[in-house]
Amino acid sequence: MVSRLFKLLIPVFLTGMVLLNIIPLLLLIFLSLGSSWMWPHLFPGPISLSSWKYVINPAAGSLPALKTSLQIALTATLINLILAMPAAKSLAHYHFKGRKACELILLLPALIPPWAVITGIHKTFIYLNLTDTMSGVILAHLLPTLPYMVRALTISFASIDYSLEEQAYLLGGNKSQTFFYITLPQLLPGIAAGSILSVLISLSEYLTTLIIGGGQVLTLTLVMFPFVNGGNPSIGAAYSLLFALMALITLFSLDTFINRYYSENKLY
Amino acid sequence: MFKKILALFLTLGLLTAPLAGCRQTASLSPDKELLQADFSQIQKEARGQTVAIYMWGGDESVNRYMDEWVAPRVEKELGIKLKRVPINDAREMINKLLTEKEAGKTKGSIDIMWINGENFKLAKDNDLLWGPFVDKLPNYNRYIDGEDYQIKYDFGEDTEGLEAPWGKAQFVFIYDSNKIASPPDTVEALKAWIKDNPGRFTYPAPPDFTGSAFIRQILAGVSSNYDRYLTASLDRESLETEITPLWDYLNQIKPYLWQKGITYPENIAKLNELYAQGEVYMTMSYNPNYADNMIKQGRFPATTRTFVLKNGSLANTHYLAIPFNAPHKAGAMAVIDYLLSFEAQLAKFDPANWGDGLAISLAKLSPEEKEKLKQIKPGKAALSPEELEKYKLPELSGAYVDIIEEGWFNHVAKN
Repeated sequence: MVSRLFKLLIPVFLTGMVLLNIIPLLLLIFLSLGSSWMWPHLFPGPISLSSWKYVINPAAGSLPALKTSLQIALTATLINLILAMPAAKSLAHYHFKGRKACELILLLPALIPPWAVITGIHKTFIYLNLTDTMSGVILAHLLPTLPYMVRALTISFASIDYSLEEQAYLLGGNKSQTFFYITLPQLLPGIAAGSILSVLISLSEYLTTLIIGGGQVLTLTLVMFPFVNGGNPSIGAAYSLLFALMALITLFSLDTFINRYYSENKLY
Repeated sequence: MFKKILALFLTLGLLTAPLAGCRQTASLSPDKELLQADFSQIQKEARGQTVAIYMWGGDESVNRYMDEWVAPRVEKELGIKLKRVPINDAREMINKLLTEKEAGKTKGSIDIMWINGENFKLAKDNDLLWGPFVDKLPNYNRYIDGEDYQIKYDFGEDTEGLEAPWGKAQFVFIYDSNKIASPPDTVEALKAWIKDNPGRFTYPAPPDFTGSAFIRQILAGVSSNYDRYLTASLDRESLETEITPLWDYLNQIKPYLWQKGITYPENIAKLNELYAQGEVYMTMSYNPNYADNMIKQGRFPATTRTFVLKNGSLANTHYLAIPFNAPHKAGAMAVIDYLLSFEAQLAKFDPANWGDGLAISLAKLSPEEKEKLKQIKPGKAALSPEELEKYKLPELSGAYVDIIEEGWFNHVAKN
């Protein structure tokens, strides 16, 4: 009885989930087309392309901003990957005194609100000549993103079957061969998950980009925020959709790239 | 091996960072000379510079005027590349400059910033501005009436030549002529209208810029001696007691507001949305051409019109300033001078571009220039410049703005 009821509820639940995800997106699309779809009207109002024309127009600088956003997010993610790999391995593999404390310290940046530390970072970066530069922004983006990468990789490392590594050594494989052919492929799901989080967080970062970049490093988030926040909601919606599209394409290519790279090279 | 290389890099990096810092300070001595130099010399030095102008980036017409009208002309005529940096709130620039000042950063990134009111006061009080520079600009001397109260004083604060006026804004109410035959014309009539039409009026909650201005607009209407508030002489408590008529007025209309005054729209965009949907019959703006722009964008009904209260309509001036650590001060001066030229002001005044009020004085224009100005007609939803001029009132002291906003929470919102 209960299980039948449950089976009946599943489609209802799924439709609800889909609607919850699709309705806001639809509203964004209508809003970006300058149209409103309000009670008591059955159909949305007339549409206009003026917001999209503004966003696409070269003078608005959306394309360079998009490029800057991606450059920062992808570079930060790559650095995260390199930094997080040894930390995650140690956390998952070795049992040493203070391991829990180390884990907590590595997670802290994600728990502390950014505006609490940003002024200090800003000052330090001024002394180091890193403000108003893209490298400064990338470095600052490591702070909120690195913890997620460490977390994702730690879980991946923990689930690795180390006997395979030992086997590789026994068969005469050296350290780097073992890492690239045995360990790395097993880490793929963790790498994918960590990269996706890192890219997404970096793309949507506003405060650190604004303060460390000082307006000289213009990402899409910086350009769109004044519109979303009380400016022109229609242009804000168009920017939001552009942002969502950019994030989606990046995530999709990242995922395909990682998977294809290893299946093509037949490393499994 | 790898560790050694890493250590080497880190050491080198740490050693060179302060060196780079020293190099920056060396090129900053001629700043004072710039204020003594001839303007043609300044323009010569400005050629080839890239000038970064930091300004609120949430309005399509403003951005378009800068990107499509100003930038190409400045590049062609002055040889300066103009870079517009969109920001969300002018306070962000002030915070950036405060930290830079504290850290001793003498070469910043902002060349020009668009500010007024409390942000100007903050910048001035903390010595964040470079100058005084306005009397160096030929177009300032030619077109601006520097003694005009509305230009010399920015929300009651003496500008002291540290910022150049760029344009003017005035507070207007916007209504749908399809739903309201004749709009109220005094503060008292507005109250009566709100009571007769429950749920059809509201205002954005402060600290929203427009909502805060609405409250000051009502204050101007209910107080018998408004001029008293132009300079800050009262402390918080005496001011809050003295403006009791304002709290009374706002509390009396509260039960008749949208949602019975239990909640207020959090910003002007929300109120405009309510108006566009026809839920409320009035909205408001600090831009007299706003209704017209919105009709053109198809977001407000075509029957939308504008009105002002005969008790007076608040007006303020917005300005351009150069920060103490602007890297291209000559370029900044040349660009600001260009923005004060008749052509740039005229194009900015044209509702087809931006529709912002003129900073230049009508009395200083030549007959031909006056003729050109007459060619530009306000949109059908906007009021004529004469009508706006008739009821114009200066803004009260910037020091009072925060007090009134906080007072509103205690005396009105919490009730």
